[in-house]
Amino acid sequence: MFAAHWRPPILVLKGEKQVPEKISITLTLNGKPVAADVEPRVSLVDFLRYHVGLTGTHVGCEHGVCGACTVLLDGETVRSCLLFAVQVNGMDVQTIESLATEDGLHPLQQAFQKHHALQCGFCTPGMLLAAKELLERNPSPNEDEIRAGISGNLCMCTGYVNIVRAVQAVAQSGSSQVGKSS
Amino acid sequence: MKATGDKWVGQAVPRTEDPALLVSRGQFIDDLNLPGQAYAAFLRSPHAHAKITRVDVSRAQAHPSVFTVMTGDDVARLTRPQRGRVPLQYSPKVYALAYEKVHYVGEPVVAVVAIDRATAEDVLELIEVEYEPLPAVINPEKAIEPGAPTVFEEVKSNTLWHDTFPYGDIEGAFAQADQVIQERFTIHRYCSTALETFGAIAQFEPATGALTIWGHTQQPSQDRQAVAASLGIPLSKIRFIVPPMGGAFGNKVRPMFLIILALLAREAKRPVKWIEDRRENLLALGHSADGIMDVTAAVKSDGSILGMKFRNIENEGAGIDFAGRHNLLMLSNIVNCYRIAAVSYEGYSVLTNCCPVVANRGIGKPFMCFSVERMVDVIAATLKMDRIEIRKRNLIQPDQFPYDTPSGQTYDSGDYPELLRKALALIDYKELMQEQAKARKEGRLLGFGLAMGVEPGGSNLSYGMLISGPTQLLSGQGEAARIRIETDGTATLYIGSLEAGQGHATSLAQIVADELALEVDQINVPTTFDTASHPSVMTTGNYSNKFNGHDTAAAIGAAKKVREKLLNRAAQHLEAAVQDLELRDGKISVRGTPGKGVTVAQLASRAYWSLADNQPDDEPGLEALYYYQNPMAKKPDEQNRVRVQLGFAGAAHVAVVEVDPETFEIKLKRYGVVHDCGRQINPAIVEGQVHGASVHGIAAALLEEFVYDESGQLMTTSFMDYLKPTAADIPTILGDHLETPSPFTPLGTKGVGEGGAVIAPGAIASAVEDALVPLGIRITTLPITPTRLWDVVSSKGTRYGPKAE
Repeated sequence: MFAAHWRPPILVLKGEKQVPEKISITLTLNGKPVAADVEPRVSLVDFLRYHVGLTGTHVGCEHGVCGACTVLLDGETVRSCLLFAVQVNGMDVQTIESLATEDGLHPLQQAFQKHHALQCGFCTPGMLLAAKELLERNPSPNEDEIRAGISGNLCMCTGYVNIVRAVQAVAQSGSSQVGKSS
Repeated sequence: MKATGDKWVGQAVPRTEDPALLVSRGQFIDDLNLPGQAYAAFLRSPHAHAKITRVDVSRAQAHPSVFTVMTGDDVARLTRPQRGRVPLQYSPKVYALAYEKVHYVGEPVVAVVAIDRATAEDVLELIEVEYEPLPAVINPEKAIEPGAPTVFEEVKSNTLWHDTFPYGDIEGAFAQADQVIQERFTIHRYCSTALETFGAIAQFEPATGALTIWGHTQQPSQDRQAVAASLGIPLSKIRFIVPPMGGAFGNKVRPMFLIILALLAREAKRPVKWIEDRRENLLALGHSADGIMDVTAAVKSDGSILGMKFRNIENEGAGIDFAGRHNLLMLSNIVNCYRIAAVSYEGYSVLTNCCPVVANRGIGKPFMCFSVERMVDVIAATLKMDRIEIRKRNLIQPDQFPYDTPSGQTYDSGDYPELLRKALALIDYKELMQEQAKARKEGRLLGFGLAMGVEPGGSNLSYGMLISGPTQLLSGQGEAARIRIETDGTATLYIGSLEAGQGHATSLAQIVADELALEVDQINVPTTFDTASHPSVMTTGNYSNKFNGHDTAAAIGAAKKVREKLLNRAAQHLEAAVQDLELRDGKISVRGTPGKGVTVAQLASRAYWSLADNQPDDEPGLEALYYYQNPMAKKPDEQNRVRVQLGFAGAAHVAVVEVDPETFEIKLKRYGVVHDCGRQINPAIVEGQVHGASVHGIAAALLEEFVYDESGQLMTTSFMDYLKPTAADIPTILGDHLETPSPFTPLGTKGVGEGGAVIAPGAIASAVEDALVPLGIRITTLPITPTRLWDVVSSKGTRYGPKAE
């Protein structure tokens, strides 16, 4: 899926110090253009958190297992800990910060509060984006489909029961299309 | 939302924590940064046990982006060794970096502070450490054998502590028994693994000697004390700020990391940040203790249990933070829900070359509950009784509360037979039995499991005296709270209840809103703890299910004090007697005199603006500080009886599993919990705690396991090897509840955060064993995995037990 944009990271070593060259990238981040010079080894999540200052995307494992770092890349969920920032050059990235609008919280965010689908809140950003993608692909999933749809995201607090309920509630209300990315 | 009736308590109020978390503005530790901040990285031990023969950090120190490099020798020179939470007679010398020897894989050996995290991690490659590997010991039973490798030479042996506590007429019970039944159970290492790893930032101000730490803890007073003692910094100079945590579950109590960061910040002369990565977290933050439990039961032929003897060999790993605690806390649920008049407990706390243990959701109680519940099933099988009938025969009856157990616990309230009845109804037991009979005819392995348990809430830290003796300073249990009513009539509660997802801020706002007749959204409970603003006692924190009876009591105490101030001021202002006043909806009015009243905001304004007023209580302002100590939390008596824990919720768990007869895949088809935590402050939050804890217990029984090889290498250092449950692995948790209020807590509440994790492993084991009845296999160990089940079946074994070594 990144083939069209992907450039292999170029590591240039300068003698003993091993200072890698920075690479210029531009991307669309939450609807706005962003240009930056980044070391090729910087992961997308580190770029978002520490270079751009968007700390809503969390780091849970750095191994691509837990899903806390989920973002939308050209509209599809990806693990931002498994991508380098230079790989998203020219692409569209949406983070949790894009989910609520000036009109208010996304229906999924509202449902998560109503159904007590978050406790510590650390998995919530990734979980919300996974649920959003699920409902965009399948607006009326059954319980098994919801469980499969969010099974790439670990939650250590809730036992998933109320997360499933919240997603079900949004599916049943048919409001999942609100805030859908183009 | 408005309180229906008169009270906020009892309502499923939407959480006040959620708005920030939903838009991911949670302000977790890694979201915080300080100007000039540098980053730490640790070089960790690749060996389970080795002498450090040479450390060369010269190339690292010469790196232009490095601020400081520290070794174990530096730390031993600059700090005092740590003490265990329970003072031990022979305490090993534990420093924040390995000193002279490494004791477990992943133990920090060298710390580097550099300009950014990537550089700090790069620089680790420039450090040379030479080791002389030593034989390692992983199994606690082997560690106490003569000739075993000694983990800490200064302790002489690997036995940190060993003692036996007989309670009641234990020999008499065995003399009267019709049968004596013996079994061995083991539990493995696992961990709740909060999704957010451990982290901290330390800042040292050389001009004033002031140290500020932003970081993780669940016991801020004790960790601050540990930092002060280790570095020799006066406590008054140490400010400790605990931001909201992305889960904690008992794991985030590792003062060694706060000590080393403080030291690094002092040496580097700039703020130093460290965020643990997941591999470090699984390798070396802390595990629950594994243990080996031998149980002997004295029973009558009618199924009555007269007495039980326990001998537990607990693997503490190579650390002291929690040494002894798993053992002692098991005295709280040693008879579980049953009328067992005599028990004895023999415990070993054993050092090995495994990761040090920490508290983990229920600490110790999951293994005790598992052992008792498995034993009850074993007794039923031996006597050819039904598992439900034997429980009914032995359950403590509703009219026996408050019930004193042999080890000195006072069970406050409960109705265990009703919990059992409701649980069987929840799972449609009769229909299930027909379904099972049909399944068995078809050759399918369908099983029903049952486990019951008490859920202790709040620990009495005097229990440490069972190890350290009556001179131990730390005792009892309590919490501190301060309430300030602002000039606009809103109020802020400062309390030691740290934020880690349990909804304490919302629950406390409900409680205070009731006491002060305000709205929930008028009560602010900061989710960041700060010693500069928050009062505390040494037991302060978020652990041992203490919230229900201690944080609540402290908040209520402070609220009542400030309410009294309010009413006295109102009486003066309105020229009325206090007993004629009524506080309602943010207003104080005089009963029977409509129109005569004053708002809380008006009184609060005068309290801070109008310092020329005469104050009825001799001081302006509108604040109250309250220190609560639980009167039930006494020291051990001469028979070593002590209320190890202070409130007892209860629950019955029921499970239906199907085991694939070819692959031995275990499918959890249905799971139900009926619990009784007394009065519920916020039923939605309570339900969430039951779900989360139960799923953790289920996963501990079926998926999660830290696996060491014989040389002490941990084989499970990512979530690809250490399996956490996903939404697709488990069914929805069916629930029902019962409410028997505790007579000993201000609101009638009991604990609710841990019970699921305590009881679920027994229910799962019971269900799998029932499914395997056609194959005749007894389950005595965890976790239960398809591979090992297949091994047992293919070797025609009858016991799913610990691997023979």
